[in-house]
Amino acid sequence: MAIINQATKELQVKIVYYGPAKSGKTTNLEQVHANVQVPNQDAKGKLTSLATSSDRTLFFDFFPLEAVAIKGFKTKFALFTVPGQVIYNATRQIVLRGVDGIVFVADSRYEKMEENIETFQHLQDNLKSLNINFEDIPCVMQYNKRDLPDVAPVEYLEYVLNNRETQMPSFEAAASKTEGVFETLNMITRMLLNKFLNDGVRK
Amino acid sequence: MGQFPQLNQEDVDHVDALLRELLERSEASLALLVEKAGYLIHEAGGTGQVDTTTFATLGSNAYNAVQFMASLVGESNFASMYQQGENFSTLMLNVDENSLLVLVFPTHVTVGSMKYFAAPAARALNERIQIAAARDGALSLDLSDLDATNVQSLFQRKE
Repeated sequence: MAIINQATKELQVKIVYYGPAKSGKTTNLEQVHANVQVPNQDAKGKLTSLATSSDRTLFFDFFPLEAVAIKGFKTKFALFTVPGQVIYNATRQIVLRGVDGIVFVADSRYEKMEENIETFQHLQDNLKSLNINFEDIPCVMQYNKRDLPDVAPVEYLEYVLNNRETQMPSFEAAASKTEGVFETLNMITRMLLNKFLNDGVRK
Repeated sequence: MGQFPQLNQEDVDHVDALLRELLERSEASLALLVEKAGYLIHEAGGTGQVDTTTFATLGSNAYNAVQFMASLVGESNFASMYQQGENFSTLMLNVDENSLLVLVFPTHVTVGSMKYFAAPAARALNERIQIAAARDGALSLDLSDLDATNVQSLFQRKE
C-alpha cells in the first residue's frame, strides 16, 4: 500500500500492469518511459527489465516516475509489470505485494479471449491470497492491440471481461503506437488520487 | 499483513543515525532500509554510482521470491539472504514483516562479520518502526481540499 514519508514529503504509490502473455504490458511501460514529458531527467528512473533471452518478462519490469508535487508531497509512482506466462504465477503474486492500482492489459484478439479470462481470474485469486479485496483496488481495463486484425468488438470485450455491477474504466489501445497508453496511465493515477481523496492515504 | 508506518523527521533522523553507525562499524559501503513492496525508505552511504531506487526494488523482490521458495519446502524462518560478489557483496536482513535492511559491502569483509554488526542494527530499526507504528494514523495525509481537476492528467506525452 502507498507509503507516506512525512519527513521527506514523499508519497509512493505502486501500479502493476497485469495481463496474459504478450498482451503488451512491457510495451506500455516502454512507451511511457520513452514518451513521457518530465520536468527534469531525475523525475524518470531507469526502466529495469528482468527478462529471458527472448525478451519475455521473467520476473518484472519496473520504472519509477515522479509526478507533480501534490500538497507539497512529491508523488512517486512505481510502475511494474508481471510475467504473463502462467508458469510464473508465483512470481506475479510476489510483484503484487503492496499494490495500490492495477492496469489489466487484455489482448483484443478473439484467439486470446480464453487467456484473458483465465488471467483475470488469476489476478483476483492472487489478490485474495494476499488478503486484498479486488473491489478495493482501483483497476483500469485496457483493450490492447486494436491495430491488429481479428480483434473482438469492444462491446464483446466489455461483456466478457468487465461485466460487473461497477464497471472498470476501459480504454482501447495500440500500445506499440502509444495509442491509449497515456489515457490508461492517467486514468489509473486519477483513480488512485481520488481514492486517497475519499479514503485518506491511511485510515 | 500490516503496513509500513509513516515516518516523521525524528524517525528518519534516528534511522539515518542507525544506518550511519552501522556503516562505520561494519565497513559496509551502502545501507538501505527498504519496504518489501519495493519502496526505498532511507539510504546511507554509497557513492552515487548505484541507482538505489532500482536496487531497493530488485532487492525486495529477490528477497520475497527466495522467502516464497523457502516456504515451499516448509521453511518459515527466513531471516537473511546473501549474494557473494567478486568486489562487493550484498546482505539482506529481515527487519519486520514489512521491511528489510539491505547492505552492500566489500568482499574483504566477511559475511559473518557483517551479520554480527547488522543484526543489532536490524533490531534497532525494528524498534523504531514499532514506535512509528504506534503513533501512526494521527499523521495521515489529508487530501480533502485537493482540487481533483488539477490531477486529471498527471502525465503528458512528449510533443
